[in-house]
Amino acid sequence: MATLASPAEASTQTQACGSLPDFASETYKDAYSRINAIVIEGEQEAHDNYISIGKLIPDQAEELGRLARMELKHMKGFTACANNLGVSADMDFAKRFFSPLHGNFQKALAEGKVVTCLLIQAILIEAFAISAYHIYIPVADPFARKITEGVVKDEYTHLNYGQEWLKANLGTIREEFEQANRENLPLVRRMLDQVAGDAAKLAMDKEDLMADFLSSYQESLIEIGFSSREIARMAAAALVG
Amino acid sequence: MFGLIGHSTSLDQARSKALALGFPEYAEGDFEMWCSAPPQLVERIPVTSLTGKSIEGAYIDSIFVPEMLRRFKTAKRKVLSAMELAQKQGITITALGGFTSIIFEDFKLLKEQQVRATTLDWQRFTTGNTHTAWVICRQVEVNAPGLGIDLRRAKVAVVGATGDIGSAVCRWLHQRTGVEELLLVARQPQPLIDLQTELGTGRILSLEEALPEADVVVWVASLPETLSIDTKNLRSPCLMIDGGYPKNLDSKASGETVHVLKGGIVEFHQDIGWQMMEVAEMEKPQRQMFACFAEAMLLDFEEIHTNFSWGRNNITIENMDLIGEASLRHGFQALGLQAIGLQAIGLQPIDLEAISL
Repeated sequence: MATLASPAEASTQTQACGSLPDFASETYKDAYSRINAIVIEGEQEAHDNYISIGKLIPDQAEELGRLARMELKHMKGFTACANNLGVSADMDFAKRFFSPLHGNFQKALAEGKVVTCLLIQAILIEAFAISAYHIYIPVADPFARKITEGVVKDEYTHLNYGQEWLKANLGTIREEFEQANRENLPLVRRMLDQVAGDAAKLAMDKEDLMADFLSSYQESLIEIGFSSREIARMAAAALVG
Repeated sequence: MFGLIGHSTSLDQARSKALALGFPEYAEGDFEMWCSAPPQLVERIPVTSLTGKSIEGAYIDSIFVPEMLRRFKTAKRKVLSAMELAQKQGITITALGGFTSIIFEDFKLLKEQQVRATTLDWQRFTTGNTHTAWVICRQVEVNAPGLGIDLRRAKVAVVGATGDIGSAVCRWLHQRTGVEELLLVARQPQPLIDLQTELGTGRILSLEEALPEADVVVWVASLPETLSIDTKNLRSPCLMIDGGYPKNLDSKASGETVHVLKGGIVEFHQDIGWQMMEVAEMEKPQRQMFACFAEAMLLDFEEIHTNFSWGRNNITIENMDLIGEASLRHGFQALGLQAIGLQAIGLQPIDLEAISL
């Protein structure tokens, strides 16, 4: 078997693995105040969004209400994480951070566009949360790790909810889904760019976040029933859009 | 269902291939974009054996390119994500092609079984090295006599002898082919001594010492770039099997009596309706492929759904027999000097002084 010319050299990049950040440092806490706020705001928005989607599909309102309550529980958990580290979450930053996606969701809601609403909340945001939580868990403080591990299991059920609804309606959703993908997926990348510096201080690598998000997102699209070509085209909107 | 995990040979090639396959968004992407891009199931492939049995497989492009080798985390993620995709697609046996098996081994990915929420099931993957080793041995056995080399009186140098494929080749050439002498070449001394003890034969030499004595040279390693070879001292004729990855020996070769054959390549009995082997720059992309890919097909034909080739130095003569018999039965043939014409496969003159491996 051929071997790599210098695996030792290549593996010098692995220093992040195995060493945890200093959770008590001011640098860490400063970055955490924004990342934690985004997570709290994200869970709050998720709650509100599921309640709103329930108004568009009333026969699902009960199930969506259940999902929404889980999101509130998550929000409380992440608030406790900030308290544990003695950090105040920068909620103003988080609201500004979410405003473009929030605006797109509200617009779709007003127009009664269920597919767009589900894509934004149940697929995009959930897929991003799942991949970000997976990357965060190994570098989190012990308290936050436990909370996040519990949350990530729930988020899969939310992603699954969106997938199942879209899968059942695949015949009629393609056009709106592709359009909503085009308009919203690039926002995710821009949002990630905004917080990449803070995430790095929490030992979360930007390329890992983007790549894992795209893997989760792509997996959802496979589950919904899109073809390989459709998926590649849609995922590329995040990368070159 | 069988799976093949592969990749392009460079970013430029990947971009032009993306365009040709109808993925224009990827063709426009820069290196950073390619680093973040997830693996793609590019095509589904029906294959029919010489026995008439039909199976279906999938080609997964890991969206890895060799330029990413220096980015440990990227390379690692590319391989693991491609494996995760294969498993989630329900593929029963998937071969790790090109650099992906090398990354798996050298970056010790056996420790990385958990990929997000997926626990990789190693039983679903194979390096394909057993078939590759068998094909290389067959290439030696068939082509050396064609050049007038009597293997019973020949010295065969195996460069990279202690690797997974190299050690299997040594075992086979000693026990089955019965070559006069094996010349064992590798970087680390202790594994060489262990191999020599296991074989009960073979002479440990440096590359510089081995080459002038060798009638046949099997290359299954990448070597230091600084290495240079003196062509004047080579045997005449000399058969060289380029079994490493990437295969670049013939492009650097010139001389009159040195014959270079691409090692570990097989040709199927009929065309396969796929597009991806063009990426690997095969002479006949519709029929030729890496033996490791063919191993996944063979295991699926034979319904051996297990990690047939796995870990290092586990390849047995019995398993080489098994996969070799299956290879012939289902219609694969090892690439030979005769099969595609002497000029076409790198029987060009070779100037070993010009080789820097």
